[in-house]
Amino acid sequence: MADDINSSQGRASEQHLAEPLTKSTFVQILLRGGRDALSLPSITICLSLIGVGGLARDIGYPLMAAVLSSALMWAGPAQVLLFGSIASGAAFPAIAVAILFSSLRFLPMTISLVPLLNNPKRPLWHLLLAAHLVSITNWVEGMRRLPDIPAEERFPYFCGFGTMVLLAGTLASGVGFFLIGAFPPALAAALLFTTPLFFSLNIIAAVKAWPDLMPVVFAIILTPIATWLVGKDYDLVAAGLVGGTAAYLIERSYRKRRSKRAQAELGS
Amino acid sequence: MESFSFAALQPITGAFWPYLVVIVIGFFPTEIWRTLGVLIGKGLNEDSEVFHWVRMIAAGLVTAVVAKLLLSANGALATLPLWGRLAAIVIGVVVMLLTKRSILLGLFAGEVAILVIGAIA
Repeated sequence: MADDINSSQGRASEQHLAEPLTKSTFVQILLRGGRDALSLPSITICLSLIGVGGLARDIGYPLMAAVLSSALMWAGPAQVLLFGSIASGAAFPAIAVAILFSSLRFLPMTISLVPLLNNPKRPLWHLLLAAHLVSITNWVEGMRRLPDIPAEERFPYFCGFGTMVLLAGTLASGVGFFLIGAFPPALAAALLFTTPLFFSLNIIAAVKAWPDLMPVVFAIILTPIATWLVGKDYDLVAAGLVGGTAAYLIERSYRKRRSKRAQAELGS
Repeated sequence: MESFSFAALQPITGAFWPYLVVIVIGFFPTEIWRTLGVLIGKGLNEDSEVFHWVRMIAAGLVTAVVAKLLLSANGALATLPLWGRLAAIVIGVVVMLLTKRSILLGLFAGEVAILVIGAIA
């Protein structure tokens, strides 16, 4: 994997950058992204979404509704919220609003991913397509992998990678539809545990410098406080905004200090 | 608002009802953020201060979602005690660090830990 990235970086620098990709190179990189997604990210998403199929079947929805929810919504917590709320008899407008609030994270996630994929010539529909693939898994992996990939190759790589993860998750929610009732509570708990575990491991594995950990530390401390302070509807937004901004201020001063030091060393 | 009920459409839409619900109640409220994200993000530069800020907020929001899943768990995860959930995370992280940062092995260890804790707790 690391070798893959290094070799493609070498290729890009030989071509002096920004050469548009030929069709065959595009497909090659698309497939490489898909292949890289086949192990860990796909396993994670399968474990996370396998329970969704059962929830859909619980409320008498057909198999394809469960499959469609994964392919279109592509947001595990929101899917659980959708089928779980229908099961509890909540009103549809209330469910829609709850899903809207619980999915707010996709806004900053997409905003921060798009500049990595964009260039002035890229059509809007390319970006919309890539944005649809944004999920916790794909975003974490994308933010970690894309900076090391030549700019022109990032879009096909992310599309290949993200589509593979989406297909795996969609398939898993379809399989889960037939497994309802087969899960003992301990196994059901372990499946629900997959997303928090995957995220915790990835965050720690991806840390390059200590400021990377700041938004995580702040959000962990602030989430219970925010639940108590502003209630369970707005707590995530409040914790994310306040924690993220505080982390940014610290990260900025770290960045400034580091570049000042680098300049001083250059000058001496 | 009260006089109109979305669910009253069900007899008209018939067998397509579940798909309509998934699309209108599920797909639209999630996809709107991704679409807005593209429209805002495409004007941003990778090195700009706003990009750094938004990236930290994204990390904060994702962490908040995960922290809530872990701390105030509901459903099957709530059958496990809080210490058990946190211990399984720590076990996963330690195994990952001991195995040259293999996330796959860390994930496996954490899942085994949660199953064992579920069996004894």
